[in-house]
Amino acid sequence: MNKLLFFAHLKDEAGAETLSIDVSGKTIAELKTIVSEQHGLTKIDSVMTAINEEFAEDDDIIQQGDTIAFIPPVSGG
Amino acid sequence: MNERYSRQTLFPAIGEEGQKKIRKKHVLIIGAGALGSGNAEVMTRAGIGKLTIVDRDYVEESNLQRQQLYTEEDVFEKMPKAAVAEKRLRAINSETDIAAVITDATPDRLEELVQTVDLIIDSTDNFETRMAINDISQKYQIPWIYGACVGSYGMSLTIIPGMTPCLHCLLKKIPIQGMTCDTGGIIAPAVQMVIAHQTAEALKILVEDWDAIRTTFTSFDLWGNQYTNIKIAKAKDDGCLSCGEARTYPFLQNENLMKTTVLCGRDTVQVRPPAKQQLDLARLSEQMQASGYQIKGNPYLISVEMKPQRIVVFNDGRALIHGTKDLSQAKAIYNRLLG
Ligand SMILES: [Zn+2]
Repeated sequence: MNKLLFFAHLKDEAGAETLSIDVSGKTIAELKTIVSEQHGLTKIDSVMTAINEEFAEDDDIIQQGDTIAFIPPVSGG
Repeated sequence: MNERYSRQTLFPAIGEEGQKKIRKKHVLIIGAGALGSGNAEVMTRAGIGKLTIVDRDYVEESNLQRQQLYTEEDVFEKMPKAAVAEKRLRAINSETDIAAVITDATPDRLEELVQTVDLIIDSTDNFETRMAINDISQKYQIPWIYGACVGSYGMSLTIIPGMTPCLHCLLKKIPIQGMTCDTGGIIAPAVQMVIAHQTAEALKILVEDWDAIRTTFTSFDLWGNQYTNIKIAKAKDDGCLSCGEARTYPFLQNENLMKTTVLCGRDTVQVRPPAKQQLDLARLSEQMQASGYQIKGNPYLISVEMKPQRIVVFNDGRALIHGTKDLSQAKAIYNRLLG
């Protein structure tokens, strides 16, 4: 099992702050497709991701038990 | 050392030595909105040697809820933020050399502005300028601190050339402007939290306490009770066009420059002439009044009612067209006014 963590407006889009889902063996890019197609996340291309609180690239592979965070950079100031 | 900074020098990581270093440093703040006014006040009170603050906008009523340097009178006078900030900051600390620049922080302007600068604090509201700051930082080896917020959510990252990844390493695709600011609003505590992160990092950099630099990407949601730190050391990309071996500084290249920009979260387009101009605002004001327009103005800008739009023209030829998000309409209105 894996835990997904959504930040800021992604939380509203996904309808939850966390989501339990089994995505072990998939890449971050594949997971991004899943969350945008099945969980309504928009503009996922520019969202930063982290696996277990460490910055993750699109081709990083998710392991069993990993927690993946989705952090959208914002521009307000 | 002076009594004024005694509580700051009592803090062991700063001390008398740190204060001497702070005193010699020049900090550049890009943006004098919510983050800019807060960051500037902290830096000025801390006793930095010189502060340059750059902003393209003027004070509006909706700013007062969170932009701590401005008052109702500044709204009434439609004063440029940088000019007001300069006045207030000087009143706070006469020992700091304060310079205000009323301009759009384009790559060309940034190149001029960073020449004697030790640190850049990002207080802008758009990624176009941030990516230009990021390239400038790498080109001139000047640290910079990213900060941004919307709603109750905020984030910060410290970028030290040669030591940390750059913002371009982390953001392969530049987030589209207005992703959330149109809908999210902003609460003052989120602004203050970002300022706290940026200025703490700024003090570490100014006293050269490199081991204390935060090496994570911080983000938080004050309403949602989230706080997270992402380790980013491994994100450093040797192929990065901004900080890698074959760097080209893509965000400093002129063809990447826009001449019209929709301002984030506002029904406003900024129009920027290809070259800087020196307008005769008094004359323009007379002409407009003669044409039957309602004009308000001060030495820095004039505001023209052209219902349903309102146009604010600055003396460098730049204009803000309020009441539209349509770039070509904005250009058309600009041309109607300024030829
Ligand atoms: Zn980089």
